[in-house]
Amino acid sequence: MYGELFQVIVRGGGHAVTHAARGAARMGSRTLLLTHNMETIGQMSCNPAIGGIGKGHLVKEVDAMGGVMAQAIDQGGIQFRTLNARKGPAVRATRAQADRALYKAAVRHAVENQPNLSVFQQAVDDLLIEQDRVVGAITQMGLVFRAPAVVLTVGTFLGGRIHIGLDNYQGGRAGDPPANALARRLRERPFRVGRLKTGTPPRIDGKTIDFSKLEEQPGDDPAPVFSFMGNRDQHPAQVSCWITHTNPRTHEIIRGALDRSPMYSGEIEGVGPRYCPSVEDKVVRFADKESHQIFIEPEGLDTHEVYPNGISTSLPFDVQLELVRSCVGLERAHITRPGYAIEYDYFDPRDLRPSLETRHVGGLFFAGQINGTTGYEEAAAQGLVAGINAARLVQDREPWNPGRDLAYMGVLIDDLITRGTKEPYRMFTSRAEYRLMLREDNADLRLTPVARRLGLVDDARWAAFEAKRETIEREQQRLRATLIRPADVSPADAQRVFGSPLRREQHLDELLRRPEVSYASLMSLDAAGQPVADPAVAEQVEIQAKYAGYLERQRDEIERSRRYESLPIPEDLDYGQVAGLSSEVRQKLADHRPASIGQAARIAGVTPAAVSLLLVHLRRGERDGQRRRA
Amino acid sequence: MAADTICAIATPPGQGGVGIVRVSGPAAARLIDAVAGPLPGPRRAVFRRFTDQDGSVLDEGLVLWFPAPGSFTGEDVAEFQGHGGPVLLDRLLRRLIGLGARLARPGEFSERAFLNGKLDLAQAEAVADLIAASSEAAARAAMESLRGVFSERVHTLTDSLIALRVHVESAIDFPDEEIDFLSDGAVADGLAQVQDELAAVRRAAGQGQVLRDGMTVVIAGRPNAGKSSLLNALAETDAAIVTEVAGTTRDVLRERIQIDGMPLHVIDTAGLRDSVNIVEQEGIRRAWRAIGEADRLLLVVDDRCGPDEAARRVLAGRPADTPVTLIRNKIDLSGAGPMTGEEGGIPVIRLSAKTGAGLEGLREHLKASMGYTAGEGNFTARRRHLQALDRAGECLDRAATQLVAGAGELVAEELRQAQQALAEITGEFTSEDLLGAIFSTFCIGK
Repeated sequence: MYGELFQVIVRGGGHAVTHAARGAARMGSRTLLLTHNMETIGQMSCNPAIGGIGKGHLVKEVDAMGGVMAQAIDQGGIQFRTLNARKGPAVRATRAQADRALYKAAVRHAVENQPNLSVFQQAVDDLLIEQDRVVGAITQMGLVFRAPAVVLTVGTFLGGRIHIGLDNYQGGRAGDPPANALARRLRERPFRVGRLKTGTPPRIDGKTIDFSKLEEQPGDDPAPVFSFMGNRDQHPAQVSCWITHTNPRTHEIIRGALDRSPMYSGEIEGVGPRYCPSVEDKVVRFADKESHQIFIEPEGLDTHEVYPNGISTSLPFDVQLELVRSCVGLERAHITRPGYAIEYDYFDPRDLRPSLETRHVGGLFFAGQINGTTGYEEAAAQGLVAGINAARLVQDREPWNPGRDLAYMGVLIDDLITRGTKEPYRMFTSRAEYRLMLREDNADLRLTPVARRLGLVDDARWAAFEAKRETIEREQQRLRATLIRPADVSPADAQRVFGSPLRREQHLDELLRRPEVSYASLMSLDAAGQPVADPAVAEQVEIQAKYAGYLERQRDEIERSRRYESLPIPEDLDYGQVAGLSSEVRQKLADHRPASIGQAARIAGVTPAAVSLLLVHLRRGERDGQRRRA
Repeated sequence: MAADTICAIATPPGQGGVGIVRVSGPAAARLIDAVAGPLPGPRRAVFRRFTDQDGSVLDEGLVLWFPAPGSFTGEDVAEFQGHGGPVLLDRLLRRLIGLGARLARPGEFSERAFLNGKLDLAQAEAVADLIAASSEAAARAAMESLRGVFSERVHTLTDSLIALRVHVESAIDFPDEEIDFLSDGAVADGLAQVQDELAAVRRAAGQGQVLRDGMTVVIAGRPNAGKSSLLNALAETDAAIVTEVAGTTRDVLRERIQIDGMPLHVIDTAGLRDSVNIVEQEGIRRAWRAIGEADRLLLVVDDRCGPDEAARRVLAGRPADTPVTLIRNKIDLSGAGPMTGEEGGIPVIRLSAKTGAGLEGLREHLKASMGYTAGEGNFTARRRHLQALDRAGECLDRAATQLVAGAGELVAEELRQAQQALAEITGEFTSEDLLGAIFSTFCIGK
């Protein structure tokens, strides 16, 4: 019936699903979004914020490719900040608190108005698989939808188990039902499955908080904007976050209740994130620290509920209440929802191809938490890539894979499929070796042209992008061509801009590379001519000049590694046949099944000599083949 | 398809009449031009001077130029044929590395030759074997190089660098935590400490300086122990006057010798004893001064008596970190056989300066103490390690500049590069390792 109409089916409810579905639809595939509950589309199940270090980078990349996340947060953000503003452009990142309702409405609007995309409310209970290829999905009520590509973005619903104190029960996050039937079906395949854990803090009624005792953390003024197509006028009313702290008494309460903690009593086996430990973990592992920060984050403009970020816990409810009330300003706090820990299954991402298609079932793609990641941004990035590649599979085209040198999306996917993960994976800038190139400010320059070729970028965005790119190039040309002579600059101006007299004639672009010179200060010289009006262009010109030497070095590094990236390794390669490899390396390669020589070289323990041996083996195979054909 | 240019010494280690340094890759022509002047015609040997960066002459010899694809590796290849001897070859290698080449990995020339279709299929198995075997040998040599003080210092250095990176990277990735080290003095102090430790490693590695200037070996001991005979035996000349009369040598005698092309300054000193003779007293004073300058002491005793009062005095009176080798001389008289061993943590060599028995053992020992032994390519391993340290040092210097300029992310980049350079010695340190170090150092997380 219905099923014959679709080319791509996307199943899930979170942030990966919307990006996968819209991505595939924009590329021209007739796409069906199956969700167990339409109300969950665009829902933030954890803390109400988008962006942050590394994550903001992902959001801007997804936006540069036409994804909805940045535009939704521009419409739903109620406190915007630029993190690391003083630490250099590469590590600057945007972060915003969200009004949950506004954010969700913006996402839902984008989904509902996306041509080629239909939404249907039914949980997927089973997959139709024929000869190791997925051919469709069966819903809870037995409806059959056929399609050559299926993207699964089911998150904590796989084998989900919620813990509060020593009580636990089956369930997905925020009261959603677990997807056990589907989990069983997937477990029949040779996927490697692991178990992870994450947690949330208890939510608090803001009416019961004494804000006069807390430290205020206002947003930046002027507020940064997320989307390359967005502007400040879209932002709703802005509010502050607040900061309080745990104290020795809080820690005493926690220590006194560890025997009722599911983490310390062995109830929880899943591995939690080290960068987002529960408050009991913080107290146990860093016993000498007397206080930890708690960020009181507003959940929205129309609600009093707040999210106390920093005290995620699975302690029993009575302990939660006591520990919250031991903090300054929270003495009379009323908890609106208890905190809890959730354990869930994930599928070892080393069983994925760089396209996010699974190795064991053709046409089946995984994206988001199912791959062991955490965070809306990480999910959105994978969803987009999976959606793109599902569409390309249907079009019978080569998959698209952003490299580590192109985007944080590429770092994310390569890390996952090469190394796997043992804890919920989140992005950090230190994961990116080409960090100086992969900046928020140039996400559009890096990715919009690629996305345009893929068919993801509409004419409006493309026109705006081209105009910006041309202005940047024209200005850079002008700076390269304009010569400033010592006589052109008055001694006072030279002192002000350069800190010393100008000794010889130099082009504007060389002068801009000096650490003490900014684009604005340089342009304040009469001889410098007319500056560009668009601040985004001025910023780009300045950053590219300042980083020129480093960018060149990184480009060299990339050039050197690229020859390895472009050498594929057959998926069925028998590593036992590769002469000279140690048995340890052989085992590692067989476990990871790298897709390229470059990926093989990044596996821990694979030596340069082993890479050489692989190269020799592959080339020998090629020549053997040629000889046989001849 | 190769983007980088590799270089290596192509002749076997040890002393030889000719030493060849081979270069393969796109920069080969540029390297000839910089080191030996205009490019000669293809496959023609021309006689040239090899010059250092400052224009001084490193060596002279033949240069050959094999443009791709008509070369051994199928890439542009340059060959510099100079005088043998590790010191000259090492200098030439350093010069090429300074110009952008990198030391080839074991078997890499053959690998490239194969990948570029220069070796036939039958040879492929041999290439694989060569790569496997030579990388294993290189790994053994690297382990060898990483012994003793050098190893300790390298690990201290690496630990300090990791600690520094933990601070810098957490300041970048976790700005909401109360750990902003980039804005306080902690990073500057940490960086200065890492730079100091790197300098200490360079000193411990020693080889660099020893290679440029030669190692100073001082022969000391009581009168008539046979010190001057030992000098003559090593130098294969009669530089020192040898008599039966104790106290014949009244001044320090210096001799420059080479062992397999490695330069040594050997200093023979007056026998150490209490003397009333003013000339002999002055000689003994000078002997002590020479002992103070030694890179290594050869403490000579008569094998028939073993360590004597003078030996004890030298051991007690030398600078604490000067290494000592105990030479048990005159085995022709004691009747013992030649031997190389150890007593109480001090290397001991039994020999006869007079007959030459056991002298080869001493030569090997001296080469080893310069970081060089024939065979397993320890010399290359150490060279590789030193090159890695040099690269790391350059990164640290640039990091210091960026720190002053206040560019935290560029400090981080230089430190990352420094660690990458050190990884050649200590093994890989991934971003995951770094995050692990961060999370175990700081309590991070909302």
